[in-house]
Amino acid sequence: MTGLEELKTKILGALPELDVVIGWEQGYDALNATPLFIRKPEDVERLIIGPLCAHNLATYLPGLKDKKVGIVVKGCDSRAVIELLQEKLINKDNITIFGLKCDGVVNLNKIRKKIGDLGQIRKVVFDSGIITITAGETDHQLKFSEVRMDKCDTCKYPNALLFDHFIGTPDDRQNGIEPEHISDAEFEKMSLEDRFAFWKQEMSRCVRCYACRNACPMCVCRDHCVAVTRDPHWISQENDTADNWMFQMIHVMHLTGRCVECGECERACPMDIPLMLLRRQMNKGVRDVFEYEAGIDPQGKPPLLTFKVEEDNIPEREW
Amino acid sequence: MRIGVFVCHCGSNIAGTVDCEKVAAAAKDFPDVVYSDDTMYACSEPGQQGIIEAVKEHKLTGVVVASCSPRMHEPTFRRAVERAGLNKYMFEMANIREHVSWVGKDKELNTNKAIDLVMIAAEKLRRDKPLISKKFDINKRVLIIGGGVAGIQAALDCADGGLEVVLVEKTTSIGGKMAKLDKTFPTVDCSSCVLGPKMVDVAQNPNITLHTYSEIEEVGGYVGNFEIKVKKKATFVDWEKCTGCGLCMEKCPSKKSFDYFNEGIGTTTAINIPFPQAIPKKAKIDADFCRKFTKGKCGVCAKICPTKAIDFEMKDEIITENVGAIITATGYDLFDFKKYAEYGAGKYPDVITSMQYERLMSASGPTTGHIKRPSDGKEPKNIVFIQCVGSRDKSVNRPYCSGFCCMYTAKQAILTKDHIPDSQSYVFYMDIRSPGKSYDEFVRRGIEEYGTEYIRGRVAMVYPVGDKLIVRGADTLAGSQVEVEADLVVLAVGAESAVGAPQLAETLRISYDTYGFYMESHPKLKPVETNTAGVYLAGACQGPKDIPASVGQGSAAAAKVLALFSKDQLESDPQTALVNAARCIGCYKCVETCPFGAIKEIEDRFGNAKAEVIETICQGCGLCSVTCPQSAIQLQHFTDNQILSEVKALCPSMMEKS
Repeated sequence: MTGLEELKTKILGALPELDVVIGWEQGYDALNATPLFIRKPEDVERLIIGPLCAHNLATYLPGLKDKKVGIVVKGCDSRAVIELLQEKLINKDNITIFGLKCDGVVNLNKIRKKIGDLGQIRKVVFDSGIITITAGETDHQLKFSEVRMDKCDTCKYPNALLFDHFIGTPDDRQNGIEPEHISDAEFEKMSLEDRFAFWKQEMSRCVRCYACRNACPMCVCRDHCVAVTRDPHWISQENDTADNWMFQMIHVMHLTGRCVECGECERACPMDIPLMLLRRQMNKGVRDVFEYEAGIDPQGKPPLLTFKVEEDNIPEREW
Repeated sequence: MRIGVFVCHCGSNIAGTVDCEKVAAAAKDFPDVVYSDDTMYACSEPGQQGIIEAVKEHKLTGVVVASCSPRMHEPTFRRAVERAGLNKYMFEMANIREHVSWVGKDKELNTNKAIDLVMIAAEKLRRDKPLISKKFDINKRVLIIGGGVAGIQAALDCADGGLEVVLVEKTTSIGGKMAKLDKTFPTVDCSSCVLGPKMVDVAQNPNITLHTYSEIEEVGGYVGNFEIKVKKKATFVDWEKCTGCGLCMEKCPSKKSFDYFNEGIGTTTAINIPFPQAIPKKAKIDADFCRKFTKGKCGVCAKICPTKAIDFEMKDEIITENVGAIITATGYDLFDFKKYAEYGAGKYPDVITSMQYERLMSASGPTTGHIKRPSDGKEPKNIVFIQCVGSRDKSVNRPYCSGFCCMYTAKQAILTKDHIPDSQSYVFYMDIRSPGKSYDEFVRRGIEEYGTEYIRGRVAMVYPVGDKLIVRGADTLAGSQVEVEADLVVLAVGAESAVGAPQLAETLRISYDTYGFYMESHPKLKPVETNTAGVYLAGACQGPKDIPASVGQGSAAAAKVLALFSKDQLESDPQTALVNAARCIGCYKCVETCPFGAIKEIEDRFGNAKAEVIETICQGCGLCSVTCPQSAIQLQHFTDNQILSEVKALCPSMMEKS
């Protein structure tokens, strides 16, 4: 991500017309970024962009539906904006998009796994594929490719797909990237029994904090979520494996053909449950059956949100 | 809640493999069940009376009947429950016949399964709510699709009953397949002489609006209030002006156009009236052959037409018709005989279809009724008829009997003898099927009085030697091979569903079978109804049928429509989707998925976007319900909670508590 000064200028230019511009700022230490809500010109100074800016800010958009909102997006974030536009959950007239080219963002869980919890991080430097993290007096050097988000490994859309202002030079790397992540192939080698045991273990750890749901840009039901209602009473509030699993399956099913694989659910999960594995498997099914990828074309329609008498790839009459 | 459970023996149909008493006893332990009993025939008069008395005696507030498929008797029992003073939706049916006794032999397993199904039904009933139907007005007009003999009969009967009829026909003239026939079995009366007057009646009846050369584009709405979009295809002739004088046909230079009416046996002009008795008698330009369209210049017809009716710029037009009921009489098409390469079909000019033979025999046909073989125009002496071409043959995916081929072949053999007294006809057949009134006598007459030679066996191949065709086949009765030297071979092609029939079925939202024939609501008791309210079937679109059966069904369908329209208002089915506005977030995913356009976007009094179901259009398919992420839209009588209660009754949690 480059062009911070250019971005600041563009935002300052657009701000008088907008209620708020959402970007990122430095968080409580050098390794953490946090969302920034720019309302006044002086707020712009706190804006940062870079590999720490993992948050998909599009999650805030449906809640600000009637406001004039500016938003800074990476390629993957822009897919969420497109999906929300497709579903008429937000109004394009109210939104100004500042598009970036992205080179990948960090996965703090991966860093924590590699170097442990270091307390206050003083300094973080990214240089030619190496991230140097300074805590106390010690420097820790890690390869960026090993600590970035899984989605960055298979990223086909580094550039914002939809924007009003594009900052920097678009990246033309797009071709030859397989949509399947390496961990999916490993998972698929497991027997059905092993997979069942795997998920049973993972789901037993879920604490039903709903952080995955709250972070998801596509979870727009908010106070009306089926997870917390008695009519209909799909799941109880009891925190047991079956109900946890049911909740996670409902979340995935509701994302069928809509999930843009931004990875916010997994990033938000305090229990580090591999939620993206479920979503990638579902998206693979959608690709196979409907030849559809979510959040690419603002005019497109998610396949499960349309009615067609006979689907091309579902041979209903050949059973 | 006080639930009563009634377990039906259905004679021995259920009791034969299910211990009904045990099922009834087990049901006593289910929550809220206060009464249970087993009965010989729950649907019989005493069976229904027993239910009504039990409701009163035990103050029941809901009833479960464990018996057969709800398809037939759910309405029966709902009426009984209503007579007992309950809301008719406080009733559930457990299907322990089709789902249990007829599919399993082990009595113990069957009994357990039946108990489970009763438990599911009782659990659902505990969450059922009374539903009330609403009333709405009927538009007393009827649409009839297809102007063959079945559609004509239905149109005339409806019109006689005082209804306004809209008759839509795909080709330029009504008459259908019957108009092409020379004579009809078993009376050998002239087909166009008996059909012609009916066609004229259609044209002259003030209650009938005729749209020919038109197709159904779209069907919206519901029983009582359908909105139909009809595509009137461009004929390039202004029919308001065309008098049917035929002058254009005399002068048209494209004389080698394919003659659809004569099955390609002769040729016609690019602008043509298909046959002299056509209704309406109007000309149409076949753009595939017209020089104005293929070469860009000509226009002779436009110059010659005395009323200046020719319009080369004419475009397809969509018109809207509002009706309350639909009769589908789209008929059938003939099997493509070219699939039988071993008979030389499509390869040798003197191997023709039975319908082509009809046109050869017809006085209004291309040979003015003289049988001349297509290759050299000579009169054939030996004629071989091969039966079951595209019928009763799994290898071409036509395992069914077309029903009428045996009879029309017998007729054609008899007529051949009338036309050419020194001819000899041979018929290769599998079985002779002649179960109609006077049908078998007719076949016998052909054999005994007209000397038709019947050979029981299939034909292996047909090949030419000189100007003859050698038909080689088996004579299974004699146990020998036979070869017949033929001048002409007529293939008795079977019936298949009309071209485009499945697509039309999808438009009409009616079901069809693997072969594209439309499904009746019940094979014995509802032969002209479909499972879509207000849509009826007549004629061969439902399955191959001869003329009397088609006419009978045309009248039957008309009677159904007249009965439907005898009321001024209909009751709507309350089993429709309902939006819980408090939960709806106005994302309108339901609007996108609804196949019927039954959901509209509204604003509540605070200006929030909400969805609303138009009850009369909703068909209760439930697509919106599964699409809604927050389950704000629920199908009444099949709500998430009702279905979940069924699932939970059947599947206790299999996962240990963590």
